[in-house]
Amino acid sequence: MEMKFDGNFEVGIPRAETFALLSDPNKFMPVLPMYHSMAAKESEPNTSIVKLKIGIGKVHGIATTEIALQDNQAPEKASYVGKGNVMGGAYNMVVGFNLEDAANGGTRINWHGTTQIYGRILSIAGGGLSGIAEKEITRVIGSLQDALASREHFEAVVRQAQAAPAAEGLIARVARFFRELFGSAPAPAAPAAAADATDTAPARTEPLRKDPSRGVIAPLGSSIQVDSDGSKQWTGQRLRRKEDERLVRGLGRYVDDYVGGHIAHVGYVTSPYAHAKILAIDVSAAEALPGVICTLTGKQVAAQTTAFMQIGAEPSANLKDYGIAQDKVVYPGEPVVLIVAETARLVEDAVQLVTVDYEPLPVVLKSEDAATDAVILHPEVGTNVSFAGVWDHGDVDKAFAEAAHVFDIGRLHFHRFASTPIETSGAVATWSPRGEVEIVCNNGLPGVTVQMLAAFLNVSTEQIRMKSEDVGGNFGTKTVNHTYIALAAVASRAIGGRTVKWVETRTENLACFHGGERTFLDTKVALDADGVITAIRSRHLDDAGGLLRYEPLGCSIWSQVYPATYRLRNMHIEFSQVMSNKAPCTPNRGYSRMQHIWFMERVIDICAHELGLPADEMRAKNYIRADEMPYTTPNGNIYDSGDYGMMLDKAKELIGWDEWQRKQTEARAEGRLLGIGIGSTVDSGTNNFGQVLYVNPHQVFSGNTEACRIKIGLDGSIVVTLGSSPQGQGHETTTAMVIADDLNLPPDMITVRTGFDSSWNTYSGLSGTIASQFAVTGLSAAHGAALKLKAELLRLAAHTLQAAEDQLEIGVGAMGPEVRVVAEPERAINFWMLSNLANANISNVPESLRDINLNVMDVYKPPFEPVDVEKKIGNQTLTYAPQIHIAVVEVDRTTCQPKILDYAVVDDCGVAVNPKIVAGQVHGATCHGIGAAMQEAFQFDESGSLITATFTDYAPITAINMPPLKTAATSTPSPFSFNGAKGCGEGGGGPLHCISAAVQDALHSEGVIVTESHNSPSILMEALRAPNRAQVVARA
Amino acid sequence: MRDATSRVVVDVTVNGLSYQREIEPRLLLVEFLREELGLTGTHIGCDTSYCGACTVLLNGKVVKSCTVLAVQADGNRVETVEGLESDGKLHPLQSTFSELHGLQCGYCTPGMLMAAKSLLDGNPSPSEDQIRKGIAGNTCRCTGYVNIVKAIDAAAQQMREE
Ligand code: FES
Ligand code: FES
Repeated sequence: MEMKFDGNFEVGIPRAETFALLSDPNKFMPVLPMYHSMAAKESEPNTSIVKLKIGIGKVHGIATTEIALQDNQAPEKASYVGKGNVMGGAYNMVVGFNLEDAANGGTRINWHGTTQIYGRILSIAGGGLSGIAEKEITRVIGSLQDALASREHFEAVVRQAQAAPAAEGLIARVARFFRELFGSAPAPAAPAAAADATDTAPARTEPLRKDPSRGVIAPLGSSIQVDSDGSKQWTGQRLRRKEDERLVRGLGRYVDDYVGGHIAHVGYVTSPYAHAKILAIDVSAAEALPGVICTLTGKQVAAQTTAFMQIGAEPSANLKDYGIAQDKVVYPGEPVVLIVAETARLVEDAVQLVTVDYEPLPVVLKSEDAATDAVILHPEVGTNVSFAGVWDHGDVDKAFAEAAHVFDIGRLHFHRFASTPIETSGAVATWSPRGEVEIVCNNGLPGVTVQMLAAFLNVSTEQIRMKSEDVGGNFGTKTVNHTYIALAAVASRAIGGRTVKWVETRTENLACFHGGERTFLDTKVALDADGVITAIRSRHLDDAGGLLRYEPLGCSIWSQVYPATYRLRNMHIEFSQVMSNKAPCTPNRGYSRMQHIWFMERVIDICAHELGLPADEMRAKNYIRADEMPYTTPNGNIYDSGDYGMMLDKAKELIGWDEWQRKQTEARAEGRLLGIGIGSTVDSGTNNFGQVLYVNPHQVFSGNTEACRIKIGLDGSIVVTLGSSPQGQGHETTTAMVIADDLNLPPDMITVRTGFDSSWNTYSGLSGTIASQFAVTGLSAAHGAALKLKAELLRLAAHTLQAAEDQLEIGVGAMGPEVRVVAEPERAINFWMLSNLANANISNVPESLRDINLNVMDVYKPPFEPVDVEKKIGNQTLTYAPQIHIAVVEVDRTTCQPKILDYAVVDDCGVAVNPKIVAGQVHGATCHGIGAAMQEAFQFDESGSLITATFTDYAPITAINMPPLKTAATSTPSPFSFNGAKGCGEGGGGPLHCISAAVQDALHSEGVIVTESHNSPSILMEALRAPNRAQVVARA
Repeated sequence: MRDATSRVVVDVTVNGLSYQREIEPRLLLVEFLREELGLTGTHIGCDTSYCGACTVLLNGKVVKSCTVLAVQADGNRVETVEGLESDGKLHPLQSTFSELHGLQCGYCTPGMLMAAKSLLDGNPSPSEDQIRKGIAGNTCRCTGYVNIVKAIDAAAQQMREE
């Protein structure tokens, strides 16, 4: 950054003397208000090393400048060239002056200066640096003018300045502030304390510390990157993320990065069978291995814990889940024996030495088979059906009776996959002698998890300190790693409280955390003569896997998007969920809604093809219209805003719809299989936890809550803590932006702590990062806290500045963030002083203001009403962010390999707080969907063994399989959030919808209906070999 | 045959500093960096050499450090993400990744940066296709690769201009 300044002023002494004084740094430097000390440079006697005290906001430092006089043309002009360091930054400067005689025998000083500033200081000062510099210059000139009023005066000032102590202590500074502020000195008259080390410490100039366990991370130069659109608002700017400062240097701290001398390691012997009885376990050889500390079987764990709380109602509530198998295993990879050893490698050795006798049982893999209860997984539940309910809205019978067209659609199947964050789950647990447990982990829903853990471990929630720092992705899957976290705590307790670490291997992760699978049966669709869908009747069978870890909550979540993006009013869905011998399902990006929307999109495309209607026209006819927003769905959800038709037009334009239509005709003429598919989706965000009542009317959750705390530190710093548990979504950055707007400060002056920590006391019973909600829940809490803080700051400042609150504003002054009188900006008090008054200097504050602590918390509570459990009507989420995807896919006739030729996506998340971050979420969600549609699937052999058990087999999408994306955004602000933002992280599974549509468009002429969400070459080959249209679709 | 727990001495130069440690012969290079040297910037994301979170340079060549034994690095030179910044100046890749939002959770980032560095060291003007191939061994679950590809391209341009 470069700054240029110039100006002139007059002093009372003649030109020659003025020149003599100004050209001798030893004389004039001590006069400067920020003067600290100076010395001549040994190697270059003409160069002086001057130290000046600089304060920017909370940061105080010493600027060390080497200056040398140049171009000395006495008594007319000269200039100083200097370079120096301050606060981790560096600057060059040239300051010149030009003297003229003034009328009264004095001198007129014309001066000009240029300075270039680099590095950390820019980010400390935020956007306020030139303002700060201007103020400092005014102070310098004021001092020079005062000092040069007469020669005597000047000499006296110099003597005084040189005699003053080099370091001014905290108390002296406080006293000086009071003098400046009040014109008197109410502060204690104690001598300057010598202990004020921060003030005199040399500015940090050494490069970054290479030791991440102790080093200090310097900011990435200026992190302020404001588009020059003249906007004063931070919201809406493409700011570079605060998080990046550590992450690009490899200095993030993820759970596995907790290393230490005395950490013991936890691992598991897991089941090789999908379904088997455990007959005997022999751990003797493992326990005999040197370095093995102890082993725990499921029974031993159960003896000291209470089975995990179940979300569902009876009979599924009777399920006994201890996180580790008891008498039987119900999926391959289920933990059977826990091992604690000195190193992770010894755990692996010990695993090999444990023998378990199993008696294999019949395996149930297909949802329809599980539903028959021919083989029951959990005798204590007595059925595999973990939930069954009916959604019935409108008049379905009437709609079918009046329909112009009715289609029967056969079995559709949404496959199992997972978003597999690159960091697996992990936990570090230490049991203290006081019976408290400290847990570092990467769980995604800590507010709820703390409650789950407490009940399991038989301790109070307040005996659990749970925290996370950086988290290497989650996508919902780490919402339910609580069973493993709890077992790490059990392991620590078992070995006397010593710290233990559990970090899942990738193979364990793939065996145990799967996204939801769903089968759609007996679908009937009614349409009017125009092709508008009037009613749907269907039976949906969700597959929870072997255990219920968050389920059956998904049996309610899907109905957030009941009619998808369409206007139909009559729906009858029989929804049930079964347990099968596969891994337990976790929430996974697009959780439960993506499966349902995929079904609705399949219905739309199948009907369109059967009626010979183009896919875009079919959608345009059926979409909820912009002028109907906010739109209440048949089951009481309120879609806040959006213009789906306009978004579709935009997506068509983006991809070049007409051109692709033309190319498709050509391709077909050549016998090529080329299809164009649309996927319309909506990402519902900010859960109403009250919807849990649809699966268990006795549950005790409703609404939503998220917390944010802001405090002004004792030195005036602004520190924010959140209840969310970010996993890459940039919460530190967006939170700082929102608070910056509320407080009129640059975001770089606001420190947002990383991650979650229950000991901050900044969380609620539902805190966490799930369900596309932070932009609404977390940022609303941040906004609420900022307003509370602002009210306190203004009240306190109004008293100290003797001004009315409405005459005050917050801003950045020469001494950092301050409250000042708008009309008289010099009348100001900075945050440090305000914090001092509120926290450490109370006697100077009247009784009526002593409730002010400048440490405020806000818990955001969205306005949800209780849901009607009987009718299944209620608002389940607050915001609905639509996305329209279009894919062009070609299927090779020989290999049946599908290839994406072009891809476009248009999203609308209302007001984007940071468009860069929003775009990143859209890219990421799109990539997950493309990966799932094209290549990723959990596949099993008939014995239930997972075939895609390693990353190499599962093959998550890489840069070479990911097509370039054409993206655009529309913005229809949500009327329900304070800033118009909507959550958009999950994305709604758009690629699965549009790729299925495109593949069907490509293969329809061959008699193929796409019934699977996975489009692997083998599935497509089978489809082409045995065209299914006649079996799948029938006109009733 | 040496038993798994009898220890051997290795001498490895990491980011210009040489380290001598007595280790288990089966220790992987990634474990050596993380556990013995506390350089936790190099991450572990899989157990079948797929994800590339552990990517480092061994004698200037890109390797997955989960697939190299620490003893194989004995007497050799390793570069990790912690050594990318020099004299307080970020590597252009580190700057462009941040500017263009080429990272979200940051877990893949160190490996991605090292793979990209190796690519640009060998090819200062890669095409988009070559960039995608250059990071084909590195999985990112957050970014969809969109901004990673852009960031590598921008860094290449910056490095050419320097
Ligand atoms: S950890 Fe080395 S490739 Fe995945
Ligand atoms: S940024 Fe999260 S895996 Fe790449």
